[in-house]
Amino acid sequence: MFCVAPPELETKMNITKGGLVLFSANSNSSCMELSKKIAERLGVEMGKVQVYQEPNRETRVQIQESVRGKDVFIIQTISKDVNTTIMELLIMVYACKTSCAKSIIGVIPYFPYSKQCKMRKRGSIVSKLLASMMCKAGLTHLITMDLHQKEIQGFFNIPVDNLRASPFLLQYIQEEIPDYRNAVIVAKSPASAKRAQSFAERLRLGIAVIHGEAQDAESDLVDGRHSPPMVRSVAAIHPSLEIPMLIPKEKPPITVVGDVGGRIAIIVDDIIDDVDSFLAAAETLKERGAYKIFVMATHGLLSSDAPRLIEESAIDEVVVTNTIPHEIQKLQCPKIKTVDISMILSEAIRRIHNGESMSYLFRNIGLDD
Amino acid sequence: MSNIKIFSGSSHQDLSQKIADRLGLELGKVVTKKFSNQETCVEIGESVRGEDVYIVQSGCGEINDNLMELLIMINACKIASASRVTAVIPCFPYARQDKKDKSRAPISAKLVANMLSVAGADHIITMDLHASQIQGFFDIPVDNLYAEPAVLKWIRENISEWRNCTIVSPDAGGAKRVTSIADRLNVDFALIHKERKKANEVDRMVLVGDVKDRVAILVDDMADTCGTICHAADKLLSAGATRVYAILTHGIFSGPAISRINNACFEAVVVTNTIPQEDKMKHCSKIQVIDISMILAEAIRRTHNGESVSYLFSHVPL
Repeated sequence: MFCVAPPELETKMNITKGGLVLFSANSNSSCMELSKKIAERLGVEMGKVQVYQEPNRETRVQIQESVRGKDVFIIQTISKDVNTTIMELLIMVYACKTSCAKSIIGVIPYFPYSKQCKMRKRGSIVSKLLASMMCKAGLTHLITMDLHQKEIQGFFNIPVDNLRASPFLLQYIQEEIPDYRNAVIVAKSPASAKRAQSFAERLRLGIAVIHGEAQDAESDLVDGRHSPPMVRSVAAIHPSLEIPMLIPKEKPPITVVGDVGGRIAIIVDDIIDDVDSFLAAAETLKERGAYKIFVMATHGLLSSDAPRLIEESAIDEVVVTNTIPHEIQKLQCPKIKTVDISMILSEAIRRIHNGESMSYLFRNIGLDD
Repeated sequence: MSNIKIFSGSSHQDLSQKIADRLGLELGKVVTKKFSNQETCVEIGESVRGEDVYIVQSGCGEINDNLMELLIMINACKIASASRVTAVIPCFPYARQDKKDKSRAPISAKLVANMLSVAGADHIITMDLHASQIQGFFDIPVDNLYAEPAVLKWIRENISEWRNCTIVSPDAGGAKRVTSIADRLNVDFALIHKERKKANEVDRMVLVGDVKDRVAILVDDMADTCGTICHAADKLLSAGATRVYAILTHGIFSGPAISRINNACFEAVVVTNTIPQEDKMKHCSKIQVIDISMILAEAIRRTHNGESVSYLFSHVPL
């Protein structure tokens, strides 16, 4: 068993150390399920707040109880309308700051814009921009889960607790996949090989890595290094520049490094959004002899047509956590299963409020996780 | 080129000189010394008022002394009215401390980024950051140059059977880097990962991919004590590789690294000169160096002239 609820979770929240207020910054009611579960586990009531859109689409926040001198925890799950969700959070944080809250802790299970965390061509590092805006608005601490890149913690000037969903997903594998010892952990692109290794190590399984045609959205082909300026002759740029002797193939053929024949393939990743690359990976694994295909991811964005595509695909099951609400997608596709992570978020809140160590929540977590 | 000055810190004078030579400039006059209490003192020996200043200092050797020296040089130029100060840091110090990998761990790379900004740096030029997200630790422009084009050039020119090679990552974290090189060479890749079959069993290295009867080229961004790459080399040889090379951008080679390389089965360990290697080459004949001064020099030239730098991401200046 990888994740056992500590005994203190069963007891009510110790609120002797000053007040605690729990808010949900979502105007969208479907996004409030996780907040309710967390509040229930902590044995506290959700704080009274109104978050709504004005007729001109501006966001309005009205906090309807005192937060002076209190630890305010603002839970924000990201809806499809991501920019509105961000503004709701920032406005609520700022409202709490100007209302003299002692500390304002953002609980953002899925950190939006986290894929835009490095320079691409002349783009912006949007997750850094978002981090700066949150700090400026008045956030004093952030609790999140499975950041797309752990280095995003360094974009903040405040403490960041990057919790991990892997113990819950590992537990699911062990309890719900009967023949999991005959599985191989698969990275659908080289970028997620580290995560695959982390899972494989703890389950004591082998790994495989897929590489080739189905380039994921983060492929470095969109980086500046593959886009020299459009100039007729190289000499026109600078006489001393040399063209590489071998132009790379546009699309290397899809390859699987590692053996999946006669095995269950478990594809692991942090985000499942646009599912094309997962479907291509599943097809490839089937061709290579995998007899069952599972996809495990922390954040199930499952955008646009994803549920229908999964339902029609070679994938047997998609397992995601409830960092993002996806009840509608589950109705469209019974293959989507949910693992509840409210337990770890509520325990993180309890520990931070009581000034206890967070290390306990990171046991069984490897360096590569 | 007018209105440009290049200064060298004491960490890598040789690289600074090569950069200046390629640009047809002389290194600026600067005196760096230590007081008896070991404090660093810097005196800029010529006017920098209104100049575009480039300070070359790598994160190696006495790393904290070199970092403080760089910060003091940046600040000295800034308060002497330089119009812009660019720190050229071929090997970024503390780059591996880029995330909280355990409770209460500091993100030291972010601290260094803040220190450089506070000192007065307006721009950073560096090479093969351990994680490119480190660019986001800064609020100033960062050009993260790649050694990859120079590495590809070296492979094609120095390994006769490069068409029959496999590019290998010594750990899962480097898989993305090796696939980029493998694609450009149109060859296969493999990776090595640690596996525990039983709870009380020691980690064993498992090769994922095929190297039998092929030249194996281990690629990573840096090698420090060289334990991982030496184990990986043994693994590759026992898996049937005909020869094993290691190619690394930053050859730190601390502690037992040199003796490990000497005892390992490498044909060659190839590093760039982001860190000085002369001393190490005297003690280890397997170490070979790829000169990247022309990439840094061209980046400086383009930055100074307001030209695009992205061309350098896929091309090597002659």
